[in-house]
This record gives sequence, structure tokens and C-alpha cells, in this order.
Amino acid sequence: MLSRSYFWLVTALSIPAFLWLVPTIWMVSLSFQPNDVLARTTSSTALGLVPIPFTADNYAALFAFGQTPMWFLNSVVVALGMTLGVLAVSTTAGFALARLNFPFKAPIVVLCLIGLMVPEQAVFIPLYTMFADLGWHNSYHALILPRMAVPIGVFLMMQFFKAIPKDIEEAARLEGVSWLQIFWHVMLPLARPAMMTLAILTFLYAWNDYLWPLVSAQQRDYFTITLGLASIQSNFAQSEGLGRVMASGVIASLPVVILFLIFQRYVVQAMTAGGSKG
Amino acid sequence: MKHLLTGALVASALTTGAQAQEITLGRFFGACEDAGTDTETSVGEACIIQSIINAADAEIEGVSVETLPTDWGNYYDQIKAAYAGGTPPDIHVMHRHRVPEFAGIGALADLTDDLEAAGIDPADWTESARAAVTHDGAIYGVPMDLHANLWHVNMALMEQAGLVQDGKPVLPSSPEELLEHAKMLKEATGQDYLAADFAQFPIGVRLVLALLWQQGSNIFTEDGTATIETAEAQAAVEAITQLFAEDLANPQLNYADSQQAFLNGEAAVLVNGTWVVDFYTAEAAKEETGLDDYYVADFPSLFGEGATWADSHIWVIPSPLEANDAEKYQAALKVLAFINDHNIDWARTGHMAVRNSVLESETYQSLPHRAEYAGTVEIARDTPPSESYGAIQDILNRELQAIWLTDKPVEDALADAEIEVQDQLDR
Amino acid sequence: MASKRSPLSRLSQAQSAALLLLPFLATYALFLVYPFFRGVWISLHDWNLLEVAFNPDAKEFVGARNYVRVMWGRGIEWSAWARPGLQLFALAGLVLAAILHATRRIGRGPAIGLAAAALLLFVVAGIHAGEEGRWYDRRFWPTVGNTILFVALTVPGVTISALVLAAAMNRETRAMSVLRTLFFLSQVLSVTVVTLIWQIMFSPRQGLVANITELTGGSPVNWLTDERFAMAAIVIPTIWWSLGIAMILFLAGLQDISRDLYEAGALDHATGAKAFWYITLPNLKRTITVVIVLQIILHFQVFGQSHLMTQGGPNDETQVLVRYIYQTAFRDSELGRASAMAVFLFLIIGAFSVVQFLVGREKD
Repeated sequence: MLSRSYFWLVTALSIPAFLWLVPTIWMVSLSFQPNDVLARTTSSTALGLVPIPFTADNYAALFAFGQTPMWFLNSVVVALGMTLGVLAVSTTAGFALARLNFPFKAPIVVLCLIGLMVPEQAVFIPLYTMFADLGWHNSYHALILPRMAVPIGVFLMMQFFKAIPKDIEEAARLEGVSWLQIFWHVMLPLARPAMMTLAILTFLYAWNDYLWPLVSAQQRDYFTITLGLASIQSNFAQSEGLGRVMASGVIASLPVVILFLIFQRYVVQAMTAGGSKG
Repeated sequence: MKHLLTGALVASALTTGAQAQEITLGRFFGACEDAGTDTETSVGEACIIQSIINAADAEIEGVSVETLPTDWGNYYDQIKAAYAGGTPPDIHVMHRHRVPEFAGIGALADLTDDLEAAGIDPADWTESARAAVTHDGAIYGVPMDLHANLWHVNMALMEQAGLVQDGKPVLPSSPEELLEHAKMLKEATGQDYLAADFAQFPIGVRLVLALLWQQGSNIFTEDGTATIETAEAQAAVEAITQLFAEDLANPQLNYADSQQAFLNGEAAVLVNGTWVVDFYTAEAAKEETGLDDYYVADFPSLFGEGATWADSHIWVIPSPLEANDAEKYQAALKVLAFINDHNIDWARTGHMAVRNSVLESETYQSLPHRAEYAGTVEIARDTPPSESYGAIQDILNRELQAIWLTDKPVEDALADAEIEVQDQLDR
Repeated sequence: MASKRSPLSRLSQAQSAALLLLPFLATYALFLVYPFFRGVWISLHDWNLLEVAFNPDAKEFVGARNYVRVMWGRGIEWSAWARPGLQLFALAGLVLAAILHATRRIGRGPAIGLAAAALLLFVVAGIHAGEEGRWYDRRFWPTVGNTILFVALTVPGVTISALVLAAAMNRETRAMSVLRTLFFLSQVLSVTVVTLIWQIMFSPRQGLVANITELTGGSPVNWLTDERFAMAAIVIPTIWWSLGIAMILFLAGLQDISRDLYEAGALDHATGAKAFWYITLPNLKRTITVVIVLQIILHFQVFGQSHLMTQGGPNDETQVLVRYIYQTAFRDSELGRASAMAVFLFLIIGAFSVVQFLVGREKD
């Protein structure tokens, strides 16, 4: 009885899931078709969703001459740097704000909440002039630092730490364990699911950010993949090499997708575990 | 093999140039990553310019050239951001129309006294090319071309509509005739008469501007008064909108789509620049495209005077480089001289050369279709110089799009455009 | 615990807190608080990007002029019937707030919030340029309107579909985890990949959408350049792109709801849709609020989709606030004006956050 309705549910969900996947399949399929065919039609076989006629030339060309691999590495460095940075400042500050008592705590929490309302896009101009004065543009730290100041992570970690029952740390306090040790040995292990969530949010944000790299990185040595792709998808290039552009899109996406597929199982497990424990 | 070759080139550059000057170069035109160093066989703007740059990198001793991103859409935004951040490229391309904005605040190096020594002869440049790089009496750049709007013609379609005479297309000489031709063509072939990017890049603006200039009018005067709400502007716009109204042209096509329509044989005329002549020539030679018999015509005059939109690509050096690093500045000049020497190669795109010696050469005159649009040099025009050229083009593009994409009444659009352009001019 | 004797272990609670807060507060002050005030300061100047770069003294203090030039005009008037449709809608909202409160459907806080929003809309919609008057910047308010429309279409789209999908897929089976993965997949793509795919998807000659339309006998639509479809053409990819995170957050929230509640509900014949309505939704309120706040803040800052897919066109129909700020700063070099708009962006996002925050709190 249950299994039958379950079967129908899965079937019903498969249709939108497939549709959801179609644009991605299409990109992959186009990237494997010859450019001169694409210039005439993009629907050679099965609306273009199957790469016939097939060619791998677009990829060969990308690896032979492309800057895509370098941009990709830049994105990895920036996204990892930003993720580690955000985790470091958010867990420490989140713990302090959630579990410790100290003077001016309330005003600091309010200050952070106000900071939550300041969008990155509202401060990118002063940040731009500030980094220009410091001569910091075209560097990894210029791409990483601004995001570390955004309090959303602190807010998320604070919410998480608040939900942890008091008796855990009270027991430790009675044994004379210091606050820093409680943070490091008790709270951080408990916070792993929340940290995973924050890490993924931050990594995706870093990977996808377009506006700040656009104004800060003018030299291609510091282009992220997001910015690099924007630079090759201008309309003039598009009409001359659709397959090539799509191949860069696939190269840009593939490693993140793989990373996510491995990572995701862990994320879901972590979330479930966190949920059942809490 | 090719890898080995580039590898060897890189290696030799590394060994010979112990203190090789690395010149960073900013340009648009799009990316061509496998351009090679053969400047005579590459096709299309992106690959031709990149082959010239690669050749400069390989051939100029003690100088290596690194090409920065080649993005079109954000080019000027990024160049400005780079200047303001103190990290402009050592040389970069720009349009003639941007000279007032950049030279006006002292961002560009004054090259007047250094050109001869670098092996660049300004006297060889055409008068209009010299004017393109001159601001307040000083030369701020090296011109590379004169480019203009042309009528790219599908002769097979024109033939079917009876619009060919002596191997040349019969083009309209008045708005009424334009409509008549378009109707004839539709009837004979079922295809659109005219296509252009009316929906994205300001090619529609350039078209209307040409029709405005053909009536001796302009969008603003040299002293900074906007003059858009005029009978002339109305006539210019309506010459185009009559085609949309009768379904003889499609205003919703963007650059790529309008080009594709032309190459598929779905439009008899494509209004686009000189930069695609070699590309379309190559496409027309292919079996599969719907364009077989390709002709390039000067922009016809619909209102008496001849006029078509034109601009120039020029190469400049930022002033901080001249002031701070004399050696690098000299290296940058060498690259400019190299580009100047390869004016003929750049002209293969379809652009008009800027050096008299090139214009008179046999090679230049025998380039494909060259004779068909020889008259364009005479009718090349642009709006008066302004520091807010980009913003003004954007206003016109928006208001014209409002007319043909969102049915805004012509009078309202022109009135609004006049107010906004005046705002820009007053700033 | 080995480090018991280290000096760190003797820190008082306040000292520990200071130490732990320091890294965050330092970056916060340097890269958010200071730039914010610097932005306000820039907005009070006539500040040309290039000129100031070459001559730092080229800026001029102009007070509030940038704000006036951006947001106000000459001969601006107010009337109760400037935009009858919008203003009637606002009045209806006001009445609705009163009724809902009187019938105790909503508490005082949300009622006041809703009423205030409705009143604000009524007043704002009544402002217009008089006969002889005109806005100094005719693009600014329409751009704000476009941005609000984008948010108003995207946020409910993402929230509702993510919620429904999450509820349907809240089972630990292999098939469900595969499906979840498929729906989440597009989220990891970068904005430029998304715009790249959808630009071509929507192309009237090369696009998959056009190919399908032609197959079914229709004539292809110029999605990106037709004023009726351009906004949809940037909203659809956005929903496709950003559904994943919302879905994951909902799934996490769903797993926090105790099974006992559903078992108890089942005794009262609350299963399926009924259970969703009476058990799932009320228990997810907090998550829903968080998701909506995040989405509004995120999508109000939309830039890439508009910048890369439609270039704000046709005729500014998809021009959005951040793109206008970017253009004003880097194309027109007018940092002062751009900063004034950025301050406005901050105010609007701040207002939304406060409203959402209050609504979320009231219901807990």
C-alpha cells in the first residue's frame, strides 16, 4: 500500500527532475558537436539533446590553448580561502555571542544584525576605492577578504550554538574546563553539521560571485572562472563558436559538480544526524 | 608539432630576453586562443588581431606581449576600473569616440614627439585617421582603422525580386522606395528585406543616425545642445518603422540572430559593420549557408546627402607609463609600431586601412569586395565629440528600442531622448 | 585536557569572548562598517572615478545633491489618484490588515506591519511628476520597480516549489536522494554558466525552447528582446538556479519535525495534504522565514542575469538596481550618484529585513 503510492510519487517527481536537468544536458550535448553544424542548427538529433554528429575538438582546443584551467584554479583558491576564513571567524564569534556573557554583548549582537542588512552590492564602490588606494586589486586577498566581513555566518552559527543544551557545557565548567577548551573540544565537534552547511553556502557564494571579481580583477591572472566565462560569452564570440563556449561552461562546472556529488552524501548525512540528535 | 613550436618560441623568448619587457595589452574583439603567428591567413577580427599580437610577441626583440581579457560588454568599465585602480594595461585599444573622455583628464600619454623615433610616420595616415587620434592639437594614439556601417547584400534574393542591375544591387534612394523594394522582395521571396541588431547593440541607433545626417541634421550640436525632437529625426525613425509595421523586417533580432538570419538567407540586406566582410565572404563560400552570392554596398542615401556611421579603433598608452617607466614606454611604442606596420593585415577583416601607403597598395585594393564599398570613406560620419558618448548612445538605444519593441509613440520617445541627452551634455 | 595550565585556560569569560570575537569584529569593522560609512561619504560628493584617480582633489562636496538628482525631480506632486490601480490595491491592503486583525487571524505586530506597508505604498504611488515637472533621473524609479518585480516573481517561485519538493522528497530512500541531487545540481553552477545556458536556450533561432515551439507548430518567441517575456526570461533561470539551497534548508527543517506529531495527526485523520497544512507548515514557519529573508536579500541584488542575458533591455524592462549602480559607477564614472543609489539599496534591503524579522518573531 505504502510502496505503491511511493512508486507513483517517485514517478511523478522524475518528470520535473528530468526537465530540471534538460538545460544542463543540452549544454553538455552542444559542447560535443562541431561548431559549423551548430552555426546552422542546434537540433541535429533529438532536439540537440544527443551529440550526433559528435566531436571532441572543442575540448581539445580548450586544453591546448584555453585559459579555462587557470581561471578554474583561481576559483578554487578563492572559494576555499573564503570558506576557511568565513568558518574561522563565524564559529568563534558565533560561539562567543551564543554561549558567553560579557559586557556590551547585546549591542554587538544588534550591530551584527544590522550588518546583515548591508548587502555586498551596497558597499562595493567604497570597497573598490579603498582597495585601489591600498593597491590591492588583482590579488587573491582582494577577492577573499570582503566576504569574510559579512555576518550571515556568525548569525547562522550563533543560532546553532544557542540550540545546544546548557547542561553539556555546565558539566564541563564544573570540571574546570576553560571556555576556549569548551569551544574547541566540545562545541566545534557538535557544530560540524552547521559548519558543513555554512561551508557549502560560502563556497557556492564564492564560486558564483560575479560583481566583485568583475570590478576588482582586471588582469586575467586573477580571473575567477565565473568572470572568465563572462568574458568569452559576449555575443560576438557566441555566433562563431557555440560548441567551444559550451565546452568552457562544462569544464567550469564539471569539477564542482563532481565535488558536490561526493560531498552531498556527507552533507545530507550530517544534517540528518544533527537533526536526530537535536 | 604546433605545441613544440610554441614551446620553442616561448623558450627562445625566455633565453634571448634576459630582461625582456613584458607589455600587457588590453583589447576587445573577442577571444581567439589558437591564432598562431601567421598574420596573413587568419580570419575574423579576433583571430587577425591576435595573430598580429602573437607575431609582435615573437618578433620584437626584448619585448613580450601579454593579452588581457578580451570581453566586449564590459570593456570600458573594466579599463576605467583598471585606470582608477592604478593598474591600466601598458597599451590598449579604444574607439575614437572615447578620446575626449580619456585624454581630457590626462589619462593618455602624449605620443606626438615620440612617434617618428619609434618608426611610425603620422604623415602616412589619412586625414581622418590623424583627426581620430588628435585631441587639443596633440596625438594620443595610433589609429588602426576606419570602420563604418555597410549594407551586406544577398544577391540571390535581390535577383529574385528584380533588384539587380549590371551585377549590382539596386538600392533605394528614398524612404518610399525602401518600402517599395521591401514589399517587392517579400512578394518575390517571402523573406525580410532588411535585418539588423535593433534589439541589443546600438546598430539600430547607428542606422537612424545615418538617416539623420543624410538630412543635414544631428542629435546634438558642437556647443552642447540636444536636437532630437525634430522633423528630421521623426522622418529618420519612420523610414525604419514603416518596415516593421508592414512586417518586412523584425526588430526583435539581436546581433547574433540578425546575422544568422542573413546567413540563412532569411533577409536580403543586413546592416552591420565593416568588421564582418571577410567572415561573411568565408561563410558565403560554404555550401551549407543560405548565403551564396554575397555583395557589399555603401550605405545608400535615402535623403539626398550621403552619410553612414563610422568610428576608428586606435591604440593608446596610459600616461602613468610614460611618466614612470621610460624603458617600458619605449617597448610599448615598439608594439604600436608593429601594429601600425601590419595595417594591411588588419584591413583583411573588411575595415578600411588608415595609411595612405596601404590604401594605394595592390594588395589592399584586391581584397575581396573592397571595390564595392569604396565610397564609404567619403560618407563616414559620427556625432560631435563628447565625454559622455557612451551614455548618450545608451539613451538613444533605449528610446529607439522603446519605439520598435514596446510601441512607444515616436514623438514621446524623441522628446524623452532629447531631455536625457541634454542632461548628459549639461553634466 | 592537556592545555589546562596554559595562560589561555585562565581567561575569564569576558576575556575569552573578546579573543573569540576579535577576528570577526576586525574584518567586520574594516571591510563592512568602514566601507559603509565611506560609501555614505562618497555619496555626498561629486566624484568622478577617473578624475579622482588622476587627481585626488577633483572631488567636490555637494551635500545631498546626488540624492536629489537621483530620486527627486522638478514639479513633483502628490495626489490620491495618480496611479489608481496601485493605490486602490494599497487601500485594500490597509482594509485587509484591519479585518485580519479584528478577526484575530494575525497578531498586532504583523497587522501594523502590513498596514504600514500598505500606507507607504499608497503614499509613494501617489507621487508623480506634475504637468510641467519631470524626474531628474527618469530611469531610477522604474529600475527600482523592475527589481521589486523580479524579487516578487522569483522569491515565491523558489520558496513554493522548494517547499513542495522538499515535502515530497522527505524520505531516506535511494530514489529520493537521487532526485534531490538532480534538483540541487543546477545550484552549483556559476551565474555565468547559467546565463550562458539560458541565453542560448531562449535564442529564437538556436534555442531549445524555440526548437520545441517550432516542433509543436508555434512560432518562436524572442524571449530576451520581447518586452512581454524579457523579465520572465531572467526569472525562470533564476528559479532553476537557486531552488537547491532553499530545498536543502527546508529538508533540514523537515527533519527537525518530530515523527510523533505526524503519528498523533494520523489518529485525527490528518494525512497527506492535510498533514502538510496542519502539521508541516506551522512547524516550518521559522525555516520558511529564514528562507524568504535569505531569498529577498539575495535576489534584490540580482546583477548577472540582467547584465549578461538582456543587458537590461528591451527598453530598460529588465534593468535592475545593482546593474544601474554598476553602470553609473563604472560606465558613467559617477561614483557619487552610484553611491547614493547604493545607500538606497541598503535602506530598502534593511526595511525588508526588519519587516521579515518582525513577522517571523511574532509567530514563534
